[in-house]
Amino acid sequence: MAKAETVAMILAGGQGSRLGVLTKKIAKPAVPFGSRYRIIDFPLSNCVNSGIERVGVLSQYQPLALNTYVGNGHPWDLDRNNCGAYILPPYQKSGKYDWYKGTANAIFQNMDFLDDFNPKYVLILSGDHIYKMNYAAMLKAHIENEADATLAVYEVPWEEASRFGILNTKDDDVITEFVEKPAKPESNLASMGVYIFNWQVLRKALIEDENDPESNNDFGKNIVPKLLNQGSKLFAYRFSGYWKDVGTIASLWETNMDILDKPEEINLVDRAWRIYSRNPVKPSHFIGPDAKVVNSAMTDGCRIYGSVSHSVLSDSVLVEKGAVVKDCVLLPGVVVKAGAHIERCIVDFGTVIGENVKAGANVDGEGPYTNHKICSDGIVVFERGLVIKKDSVIPGNSMVDSDLEVPSDQNVIESTFRV
Amino acid sequence: MFTSAMGLILADNKKISLGELSGPRALSAMPFAGRYRIIDFVLSNMVNSGIKNVGILTYNKYKSLMDHLGTGAPWSLDRKTDGLHILPPYVNSEATNIAGDEEMAGIIDFLRTSRTTYVIVANSNIVLNTTFDDMIKAHERNNADITVMFNRDGTKFGSPAYILELDDDGFVKDMLFNPQKSASNKSSLGIICIRRDLLIDLIAKQMAHATSHFGVHSFVKMFDELKVYGYEYSGIALRINSVKTYFDASMNLIDESIRNDLFWSGEPVYTKIKDEAPTLYFNNAQVSNVIVSEGCRIYGSVEESVLFRGVTISKNTTIKNCVIMQDAHISENCHLENVILDKNAIVRPGIRLVGHRDFPVVIGKGAGI
Repeated sequence: MAKAETVAMILAGGQGSRLGVLTKKIAKPAVPFGSRYRIIDFPLSNCVNSGIERVGVLSQYQPLALNTYVGNGHPWDLDRNNCGAYILPPYQKSGKYDWYKGTANAIFQNMDFLDDFNPKYVLILSGDHIYKMNYAAMLKAHIENEADATLAVYEVPWEEASRFGILNTKDDDVITEFVEKPAKPESNLASMGVYIFNWQVLRKALIEDENDPESNNDFGKNIVPKLLNQGSKLFAYRFSGYWKDVGTIASLWETNMDILDKPEEINLVDRAWRIYSRNPVKPSHFIGPDAKVVNSAMTDGCRIYGSVSHSVLSDSVLVEKGAVVKDCVLLPGVVVKAGAHIERCIVDFGTVIGENVKAGANVDGEGPYTNHKICSDGIVVFERGLVIKKDSVIPGNSMVDSDLEVPSDQNVIESTFRV
Repeated sequence: MFTSAMGLILADNKKISLGELSGPRALSAMPFAGRYRIIDFVLSNMVNSGIKNVGILTYNKYKSLMDHLGTGAPWSLDRKTDGLHILPPYVNSEATNIAGDEEMAGIIDFLRTSRTTYVIVANSNIVLNTTFDDMIKAHERNNADITVMFNRDGTKFGSPAYILELDDDGFVKDMLFNPQKSASNKSSLGIICIRRDLLIDLIAKQMAHATSHFGVHSFVKMFDELKVYGYEYSGIALRINSVKTYFDASMNLIDESIRNDLFWSGEPVYTKIKDEAPTLYFNNAQVSNVIVSEGCRIYGSVEESVLFRGVTISKNTTIKNCVIMQDAHISENCHLENVILDKNAIVRPGIRLVGHRDFPVVIGKGAGI
């Protein structure tokens, strides 16, 4: 029955600026992933499958799409009488009001929400990872260890350890130190951003943290070190399943491709651990007479008359006859017109790739949309709601953004529309 | 569109059998077009017309229908007021006199709880995508007592066919059941519009005459006493009267114009949500002219077929002109042509099954071949 004493809080307010134009209009957790899902479907489904039915979703940045998507929580069975999904935006309070200043502050500002439930345990999750995890097993370990806090960790390759928040541990996985992106890592246990706290311990720490003007109000930077300094018992919980961060364009692309290349690892067909989502109301997809579809994932409402290989298509994508789509991630409603040839493109909601457009890793060189900061590995990202002029040529590592000032003879955007 | 109408759907039809396919389920619960049940179409048509109160009449075998409909949430019919009402036999009845008239009494009770002006009564063996707004307008314009929807299919879909003869003003002057030779190709689509109070009167009258069976055409038949107007529907309507017409209707979906009419030109068709994974096409998949639902895994070759949710087509297997229902598994080195494979059927490696286009092989639910 311990599960009923747990409330999960999903930190879904971040912008996810490294995803460029994909998060211009929507928060990162609402970004479509893997043909049928949004990123937030993974933590939400994990909660429900773990028996946790009280879930707060903290939203702040561009919350409209996320709030609409989560809605009353029905797709995840989170529309219950006494529990369910709760959208928690920042709000005015008497005397003062504030945006969420950091992850810890976001929880601090929702202390009333948590106190109303008065849970024994609080599970803190982030909305930017693709993984299937049984939080109930982690909670069991937390209870057995009589821990004040338990942090899920993932063993990353030693050479990559300096990119992560690393937890140093002693025997029995007792945490001794948290180091953010260490130059010389002493451990390869990366924090997954999945925390279980005893609520009263966390509550006290949050209040102290809030009163510290020097603090960044961040779980990793402030709360965890504070608890360690105070001598609290923090344990690492090792997780060994599939776990991917989708915080960058390259990792988002690669994680989508994992569905095709390693379908057994994330195993989306596992009916014992379904990932739930808000399903589109569209007919079954249709593969036309001259189409070629290999090594690809797709879903309802797609209509394919051209060639699609090694690509992940969300619902209602139309690929016309003679078009070639290779190594692409096409989000809902994208249209690829006849004769277009795109490779390694991530195309956002509804964008129309005009006839005979060439874009992506198959085009060398640089252009006005080249953006090495956001894009790498030859990937091209298209903003939502664009009509791309026919015959345009867009080299790899570009981000097609309607806000970018581009000389009119080089502008590939014919028009924009609201999606 | 604000419509003062409620809906009444007849979920089964004693005159229609789909052999082994309708063994485990009511006609309206027949899977169709990869992810639907036939009833989704008429139910969505009602919801898309603004109808918020729908009764579904069942006789027997309604378990799979009830599984499918649930609380009515996918059609936004899980409402505090009105919503979806499944009316199994004997529900809500205090009538005791004649065996069988409980059904009629139950319908009257249901109709009386509503406050709408009109009732749309519909059979559920026809796949079409429309709203009833224009039909209700025509009904009002013509001061009709009953308006019946028809198209010009004649008797080509076989039995049951109710052929209408209309007078110059468009009112029904005769109706023939399965005529050998008919003067008209106007065939009823089994959907009528009628004022709610009139329908209650007519049912009460039928009960007084010891009629126990509720049928759309028992009202159309009253063209001598009532003004029964014929409203022509010109869009696509696929009638499902037999295994052959079910198979034809499924294969017709491959036709682009038919698919566009049913799915892309009008309002959405709602259905139960399953949360399957995306469909995956592997390295050597060869697919053309195929309708595919979610959660399938395709390693082999598929042509001119309909695949429902969670179907597996293994390596070196070819599928042609088939309807493969939910969670069916077809192993390696098989060849299936003109086959209807019901839910959960398993075809073991190396099996060859070839039916005829007019007589498809039907493999029952859960069978192992």
